[in-house]
Amino acid sequence: MSESSASALPAGRRGRQPFVHQDSLSLDSSYFSSPPMNFLQELPSYRSIARKRTTILSRDKQSDTLLKPTDSYSSQLEGGITENLNSQSIRKYALNISEKRRLRDIQETQMKYLSEWDQWKRYSSNSWKRFVEKAREMTSHLELWREDIRSIEGKFGTGIQSYFSFLRFLVLLNLVIFLIIFMLVLLPMLLTKYKITNSSFVLIPSKDIDIQCTVYPISSSGLIYFYSYFIDLLSGTGFLEETCLFYGHYTIDGVKFQTFTYDLPLAYLLSTIAYLALSLLWIVKRSVEGFKINLIRSEEHFQSYCNKIFAGWDFCITNRSMADLKHGSLRYELRADLEEERIRQKIAERTSEETLRIYSLRLFLNCIVLAVLAACFYAIYRATIFSQEHMKKEIDKMVFGENLLILYLPSIVITLANFVTPMIFAKIIHYEDYSPGFEIRLTILRCVFMRLATICVLVFTLGSKITSCDNYSCELCGYNQKLYPCWETQVGQEMYKLMIFDLIIILAVTLFVDFPRKLLVTYCSSSKLIQCWGQQEFAIPDNVLGIVYGQTICWIGAFFSPLLPAIATLKFIIIFYVKEMSLIYTCTPSPRQFRASNSNFFFLLVLLIGLCLAIIPLTISMARIPSSKACGPFTNFNTTWEVIPKTVSTFPSSLQSLVHGLTSEAFAVPFFMIICLIMFYFIALAGAHKRVVVQLREQLSLESRDKRYLIQKLTEAQREMRNRLD
Amino acid sequence: MGQCLRYQMHWEDLEEYQALTFLTRNEILCIHDTFLKLCPPGKYYKEATLTMDQVSSLPALRVNPFRDRICRVFAHNGVFSFEDVLGMASVFSEQACPSLKIEYAFRIYDFNENGFIDEEDLQEIILRLLNSDDMSEDLLTDLTSHVLSESDLDNDNMLSFSEFEHAMAKSPDFMNSFRIHFWGC
Repeated sequence: MSESSASALPAGRRGRQPFVHQDSLSLDSSYFSSPPMNFLQELPSYRSIARKRTTILSRDKQSDTLLKPTDSYSSQLEGGITENLNSQSIRKYALNISEKRRLRDIQETQMKYLSEWDQWKRYSSNSWKRFVEKAREMTSHLELWREDIRSIEGKFGTGIQSYFSFLRFLVLLNLVIFLIIFMLVLLPMLLTKYKITNSSFVLIPSKDIDIQCTVYPISSSGLIYFYSYFIDLLSGTGFLEETCLFYGHYTIDGVKFQTFTYDLPLAYLLSTIAYLALSLLWIVKRSVEGFKINLIRSEEHFQSYCNKIFAGWDFCITNRSMADLKHGSLRYELRADLEEERIRQKIAERTSEETLRIYSLRLFLNCIVLAVLAACFYAIYRATIFSQEHMKKEIDKMVFGENLLILYLPSIVITLANFVTPMIFAKIIHYEDYSPGFEIRLTILRCVFMRLATICVLVFTLGSKITSCDNYSCELCGYNQKLYPCWETQVGQEMYKLMIFDLIIILAVTLFVDFPRKLLVTYCSSSKLIQCWGQQEFAIPDNVLGIVYGQTICWIGAFFSPLLPAIATLKFIIIFYVKEMSLIYTCTPSPRQFRASNSNFFFLLVLLIGLCLAIIPLTISMARIPSSKACGPFTNFNTTWEVIPKTVSTFPSSLQSLVHGLTSEAFAVPFFMIICLIMFYFIALAGAHKRVVVQLREQLSLESRDKRYLIQKLTEAQREMRNRLD
Repeated sequence: MGQCLRYQMHWEDLEEYQALTFLTRNEILCIHDTFLKLCPPGKYYKEATLTMDQVSSLPALRVNPFRDRICRVFAHNGVFSFEDVLGMASVFSEQACPSLKIEYAFRIYDFNENGFIDEEDLQEIILRLLNSDDMSEDLLTDLTSHVLSESDLDNDNMLSFSEFEHAMAKSPDFMNSFRIHFWGC
């Protein structure tokens, strides 16, 4: 090892002054050049850490027991047996295989010294771990689309791979939601309908409800045009309306089996609550890993240089072009980060009048953004009202295309709005003068809000139409019975239309925009305009917003249309293959690559926002809007939620009083206060820990300075002695 | 390029390798195949060795900017035996534990092998990562100083193993990037 590594630079590098840290310039800098490496390597702390890492074993010659010569803590080992060594953790040692074999042999001879009980414990825990591993290996083969996603990762990087993993997660989520709904709602119905079990439907006639509310005219015009089946398939009306696809089919109050009566309304409501709770838990569980890492981070920036440099290269890359791309993207990213830092410094140095000017400009531009959003929402509102009013005209009075156009008008307006607003937002944000990273995040946030809020606007428009009546007919049934005899089915139809239209648009864009673009760019490379347009890059944020939009529709619609999660599963499977083909055949990897860790957290955050936005219309429709009296399982209840109080009233009285106690204010307010106190306690604890960490860091750097000073003195003393001797 | 004597691996050997490394059965067999294709003819696979060049030109390592360091760290006496290749694949496998990966990452990144990652090492890492001809001095020193300010806790301009371990435990991408799936030819 060289005496002073600072000056021993490898050949080919221009000579450079050793980098002297800021702190050390306070004293005489000649003392503080890097201390000789050999001293540092002799220090006990260095040695003990090195030994702990490699666990170099030696045998005590006398007693043939294992001696772990780590540090002064060998007194712990005087018992003779090293604890917690079992064969699973042999793999964790940083040794080569022959040394691990030796270690294992030593362990096995050691086992003789253990009691029978310990031996059996160790043996059973080993075999259990081996079994778990084999099981895990086998289940990993069952993972859906494993090979596809691996190959995408190898060719396009981990950012795009995380998009496809996310898509796979949504397929599984929708499948599980559909299974819940199937078990709780569909299965009893199907069992009875097809006489598989000896059960019957229970139909309780509704009392004190006006007979007018129970009228449900099934539209069946005399002459059915051939294309009306096609329209029915696309819009959920006609022959589809009475199938089990929609809420109206489940006009049953219970299913009577031999030994018990199955309460279908309660099961329907519980299935909705179950799938919402399951989605929430699953998303939170998946996002906990990313979040934990963000919590541990003590720096303010989201991305750290350490991460980018030590974990920057993706060791999976096997082909040359991907490697060049990775080098390029690393160059871009690191330069962009340094640039961002410079801009942040510039921002911090702004004068107060500049700050005022910038803030007023930002306020003005945010007002424009709000105005754009309001304009889009108003357009959707009008389009929905227009579509609802004109849908009631008979089919034969309209031309084929006009009918479809009116049915799909809300979907078309939503899609147009979602197409135009990102471009407007991207233009506006240039003038707001933020740092580049923040710009990207804010634009994405605005687009997310826009996309998800449009669904809410649609649903609220429908809700307002359902509960508003121009004459007295609302008091009769509580909702607009004339226009919406079975309003849940109609809301379900709107969600169904949105979903189908979304799928059609994705397929159409891939077929009619992506592929021709690729063909044009490949074959007409002479034209300047086409070269400018360039090859398609896989835009992760837009694609993710698209599928989160689809998932939000599914969550809202699953209450009104129980088969919608199954349709969503199929839709996402189709989207997976379409996007994969589009990626492989038409896209080039972009120079600016998303990082997988960032991406996962971002996707799940957006999905969580979608879930929260989906819960709002559902709770309002379940709790406030009276359920239809003409169709559905809740004809005998005022609102959907009323099932729960009625079920609680059938419990034994002690349980009833317990439930009433838990939901009363006397319990809720103290509970809330206790939770607040616990939260404040943890926040105070975290603050105290942070302070301790800062103090320890300072202490650490002071100790290190002392160490270097002493080593320097020692080296000088040695040198002096040597000189004196010479 | 000839092939080793095509012996099937004994079942006991396979079980032993599975117990001692993080590799799955299929991965071990795939590496066995690859090794047989590359090693000199007429030798038993347990005694044959591969040169560092041969291992560097495997598809898994061919475009890796740190392939020479990887070969230095995992080879014994400049050559790779079959068990050395298995050990290397085990560290890079998906199931490997973080502490093992961090240990070997430290050894790989320590270019001058003095037990610390100092500025020289950092500059070399950055140069290999960026792989460009027009690298300005300022960029290098900027990046080096940022890395050190984030992870050098005792302010000695070097990263000791514990500091590196601390930094990698906080890094979200480390486990994802420090792995190699496929070792075949």
